[in-house]
Amino acid sequence: MSWMTQRVDDRLIHGQVVIAWGERLRPDRIVIADDAAASNDWERDLLTSAAPGVNVRVLTVTEAAAEHGAEAQRAGGAFLLMRDLETALTLVELGARIPVLTLGGLHYAPGKDKISDYVYLDEADRRAARSLIARGVRLEVQDVPASRPQPLESLDPALRTA
Amino acid sequence: MSPGTEADAATSKGVMTTRVPALLVMHADLASALLRAAERVTGPFDDVTVLSNDGLSGPELERRIEEAVAGWAHGGLVLTDFWGGSCHICGSAALRGHGEIALLTGINLPVLIDYLHNRDRYGVDELAERLSRKGQESIRVQHGRAQ
Repeated sequence: MSWMTQRVDDRLIHGQVVIAWGERLRPDRIVIADDAAASNDWERDLLTSAAPGVNVRVLTVTEAAAEHGAEAQRAGGAFLLMRDLETALTLVELGARIPVLTLGGLHYAPGKDKISDYVYLDEADRRAARSLIARGVRLEVQDVPASRPQPLESLDPALRTA
Repeated sequence: MSPGTEADAATSKGVMTTRVPALLVMHADLASALLRAAERVTGPFDDVTVLSNDGLSGPELERRIEEAVAGWAHGGLVLTDFWGGSCHICGSAALRGHGEIALLTGINLPVLIDYLHNRDRYGVDELAERLSRKGQESIRVQHGRAQ
């Protein structure tokens, strides 16, 4: 069973992940693919303690890609969390199979366009999004289980016309 | 409030203590609503800052927390709503290198009121311990009675 949700969110672990999705899907494991967090002992310790009762591992993107297929075969369920679309694209390029990628939170920063209340994209994000779509990944905007998932292309005209 | 209650035993009498400042970081409007509710109970007060995580990326929330605590010369308390939420995670990240600041999760109205009553009487660490205990004691179950 394994991958229950594969999510891009600049907050990585936070309330929506631990509470909304966590209580609904009851994952056994959370894998965070993030080079910066994986290389920082302090940040890794903080993230691994953030979801009591769930085994949290913080891996580099290369490590996460290498383990992605094996994790998909494991008993129990897991969440995969990434900070941005670029990381998701790298994982897919390294062989990770991600049929559906959930965009749970890419918040405002200067130079980013509003796509929804919690998704803002700039041109680099859009390039990564186009590459992911071209590789067969379905991009869905959804913050919590109770909200309806919406295809990213339906919210962002710039992706439709590309 | 009237001075001279239970906290006296733990206070070094005659020693001036500096007020422990607080930053409330919570989801949606909870921090400002808690503050309003506390004012109903205690009367007006100042020196408490509030911050909502609404619409903020992880790095931006962390930056705003860092900015809010930057002026604390003698430390202080970051009071957050729940363990594992972005307020807790980004708060913890913002406090790297700030050993004089403590962060608490699970803040409720009784804890906030106890903070307001005791922020001039304890140092940061003692106050953090006290509030943690108070928060746990504040949740009680009372059953109805069959007649």
